[in-house]
Amino acid sequence: MSAVQPSSGAERRDVTERDVSVETFVGTGETYYAPVFEKFQKGELPQWHQNLLALIAPWFWGAYRGQWLLFWLSVALDLLALVCLMQVFKYTPLLEIAQQDAASNQTLIARYSNWITQFGWAALLLFIGGRLWLGSRANRWYFNQYSKWRINSSVAHAVSWPRVVTGAVIMAIVMPLTTYRATQVRTDERACFNQMRSGEVTRTLMASYGALNAGALLGDMQAKNSDLLARMEALATKESLTSDEKSERAALRKESRSLGRDIKQVEANVALTGQAKFDCFFVDDFPTLVRLDPPEDVTYRRVPDEAAIAAGNEGATMLVRQVKDAVEGRRVNVFTYSAESIDMSINYLRAQFAGAFDAMTAALRQSLIKVEVAFMQTPWAVVAFLFIVLSWKFAGRGTTIFVASSLGFLALFELWQVAMQTMALVVVSTGVCIFIGLPIGIWMAKNKVARWITEPILDIMQTIPSLSYLVPAVAFFGISQPPAVLATVIFAMPPMIKLTALGILQVPESTKEAALAFGASDRQLLTKVELPMAVPSIMAGLNQTIMLALSMATISAFIGAEGLGAIVTASLGDAQAGKGLLAGIAIALVAMMIDRILKGIRNSFSLI
Amino acid sequence: MTDTVVELEHVWKVFGNRAPEAMEAIRKEGIGKAEVLSRYQAVVGVKDASFSVGRGEIFCLMGLSGSGKSTLVRHINRLIEPSAGKIRIMGEDVGAMKPEALRALRADKIGMVFQNMALLPHRSVRDNIGFSLELKGMDGYNRAKLADKALETVSLHGYGDRLPAELSGGMQQRVGLARALAADPEILLMDEPFSALDPLIRRNLQDEFLGLSTHLKKTTIFITHDLDEAIRMGDRIGIMKDGEIVQIGTAEDIVTAPADDYVADFVAGISRLKLVSAAKIMIDPEEYQAKHGPIDLSREHPTAAPTEDLDTIVGLSTGSELPVLVKDADALIGVINKDRLLQGLQGSADV
Repeated sequence: MSAVQPSSGAERRDVTERDVSVETFVGTGETYYAPVFEKFQKGELPQWHQNLLALIAPWFWGAYRGQWLLFWLSVALDLLALVCLMQVFKYTPLLEIAQQDAASNQTLIARYSNWITQFGWAALLLFIGGRLWLGSRANRWYFNQYSKWRINSSVAHAVSWPRVVTGAVIMAIVMPLTTYRATQVRTDERACFNQMRSGEVTRTLMASYGALNAGALLGDMQAKNSDLLARMEALATKESLTSDEKSERAALRKESRSLGRDIKQVEANVALTGQAKFDCFFVDDFPTLVRLDPPEDVTYRRVPDEAAIAAGNEGATMLVRQVKDAVEGRRVNVFTYSAESIDMSINYLRAQFAGAFDAMTAALRQSLIKVEVAFMQTPWAVVAFLFIVLSWKFAGRGTTIFVASSLGFLALFELWQVAMQTMALVVVSTGVCIFIGLPIGIWMAKNKVARWITEPILDIMQTIPSLSYLVPAVAFFGISQPPAVLATVIFAMPPMIKLTALGILQVPESTKEAALAFGASDRQLLTKVELPMAVPSIMAGLNQTIMLALSMATISAFIGAEGLGAIVTASLGDAQAGKGLLAGIAIALVAMMIDRILKGIRNSFSLI
Repeated sequence: MTDTVVELEHVWKVFGNRAPEAMEAIRKEGIGKAEVLSRYQAVVGVKDASFSVGRGEIFCLMGLSGSGKSTLVRHINRLIEPSAGKIRIMGEDVGAMKPEALRALRADKIGMVFQNMALLPHRSVRDNIGFSLELKGMDGYNRAKLADKALETVSLHGYGDRLPAELSGGMQQRVGLARALAADPEILLMDEPFSALDPLIRRNLQDEFLGLSTHLKKTTIFITHDLDEAIRMGDRIGIMKDGEIVQIGTAEDIVTAPADDYVADFVAGISRLKLVSAAKIMIDPEEYQAKHGPIDLSREHPTAAPTEDLDTIVGLSTGSELPVLVKDADALIGVINKDRLLQGLQGSADV
């Protein structure tokens, strides 16, 4: 460190002196690189200039010099060339087989030979072209690396053998497996499942026979089978059979048949080659690692509690747990196991907390009915007038004309009442979104841990396809309007939460500091500074929430939402394009009306 | 400057996740800034700062950006918690206050003005000024009355119903000042209040603030990175460097006797005309007579009081060929001849 003292003023700066020479950077080979770098800087380096080591062994050179971009590109290009080459090896024997019966395999032969030449050329071009390109780029990129290193000392520099080892490990993981995969024809989809199944059967049989390995087991089983066959033979020689003997023969026949099946499984297992096993594990799909006994098949039901009713407690219910017998020998993979367990938990929750779910459904239904009454039973002229006044007041003349004509469209096509139903659904869902979303948004802005928890959940909520929300809503609440509202709420809430939090977090630190300096408590800070300043952001969130609610109102028609969406889904089922199109246009108009009016309201807010 | 209003004793502030450990190490081992950074990844923001400000005094904290002056001033109303040390306001330990008491202190006793004004954009000027009163729970009527009074104090009457965004930068800072004054606090903390304004308006506001403070007599802690401003505004000046107060004194002290090279560098370009007094450069009469022969007191010598600044002495000296006599209540206490005066102006006099 040395202190640099500027000639005037009192500002002192400490500057670290670092050796940034080419020599330190390249480590070895300075005599080669220094002139090359100089030429490159002067623009005198010809385009075809090659770094020989990078031409011959680019991955080595890249790792050795820390030029990772070149390393990865060379690995990728070589791998691609190698994969093309392997196609040649893969199709050549297939071509030979086809040529044995050339007459009937003409198309196949043409296709194979075509592929072989194409892939062969591609491999050659990729290899030679790739190498030449990398060789010519090497020194240029190396110089760029040098420039970066001069600014930032943590950029890779000098030469290093550990880096070569890292590079070698990377190549060892990537190259051989991919190359091998390229030589193999895709395995039969059932093959891996059959492999697993035969393994399972063999293991159970080994346990029941007490055999030490599959070979011995096979011997035991074959011995048993010949014994059975001998006994059947003996019976067959008899001229007439008693009824006992007849049933014995039937039993023997049955046993022999099932034994035969088992033997086939064990034989298949014994015949399995290591390569086949390897293919199933590494070549195609991720292998099924475990198979489990399926979870107990339980259903929960709430039934009248006879004992309590008899004791005078009218309307008492109780939870009943019913277990179905497991299917013999059924084993499932992890996905099925988890899916069935979740089904059972939902079933349990629904039965256990039937009261709570019913109460929620009732509350939603009641508010929905009230809002529907407000929209649908108010004379249409009054509603239309209110819409027009609202847009006139906040959004100006253009929007008012648009709103009036949209309303005209709804009225003309007799979609008025249905549109109002959709409106009611949107209003109730948005209300619930605000009621729940605003506090969560505030909490999220104020609490780091909350932010850490809710942010990924919200991201997931926004990524899950909207149709997926219908499934749990139906599972818990059945099919009717309230679950439709619920699905809409879940789908439409994230922007409300996110933009509330964003608005609060965006309040400048200095403004909050000023409020604190004048003695604001946390509560006052929130209500008098942060929330008012977050209003524009919250309004933007509200707008988005309403738009999402409208789009979900259509989809939730699948689970019983009424309104314009129901027309769309119904026409989808009956393939009535015209009907669906008109209802779709109506939805778009409703959305645009609400959007424009809200935008007007927002703008008039932000003037304050 | 009879009684102490604000008092800081050995205040330290260390920033970082491992600040308490770092503070412990500083206390026990006395490690330096660089070592605190390398060992604990912690940054020393304020280093062992002590000063006190008397009633009605304007105390300037001066330093370059990053020297920790804004950090230090935020300790006074505990917007930042100190890592070590004590802060007393009118004898009360701020660090020991409960949240309630602290809020009351901030609302009643301390007004603060910020460099970037930090006004609330959604409130009218009047509501901005009444903000601290509103936080205390004062009713709207009295609030508006006090706010209008404060507006008048900063000569912005009639602007109460505007939004801050409609005002110019200088006017906004006047609103900031009015907001700080509205609750009639005893202490004003001014964090580079005029730095963001253009020079003309800055000077204007400085003058106005000086005029205000002569009759309001608020104890003021004024932060600035501009030495000229510090000298204009401050009764006393504290100079900060790298979180440390390197010198505290009057403008004259600092200009004539800088504590180290850093301060000397700062004051190098400052005009001494209005800062240095006759007493600082005068020569003892005995010494003068020994060198230049006896002073003929019968001739009309220009005379000056010891508190007169160099500007006045220059004026006196140019009217006469004789040296200026410095007299304190008719007793001759010093002599200033032209050589001495020129040395004093240049700053090379061994004062």
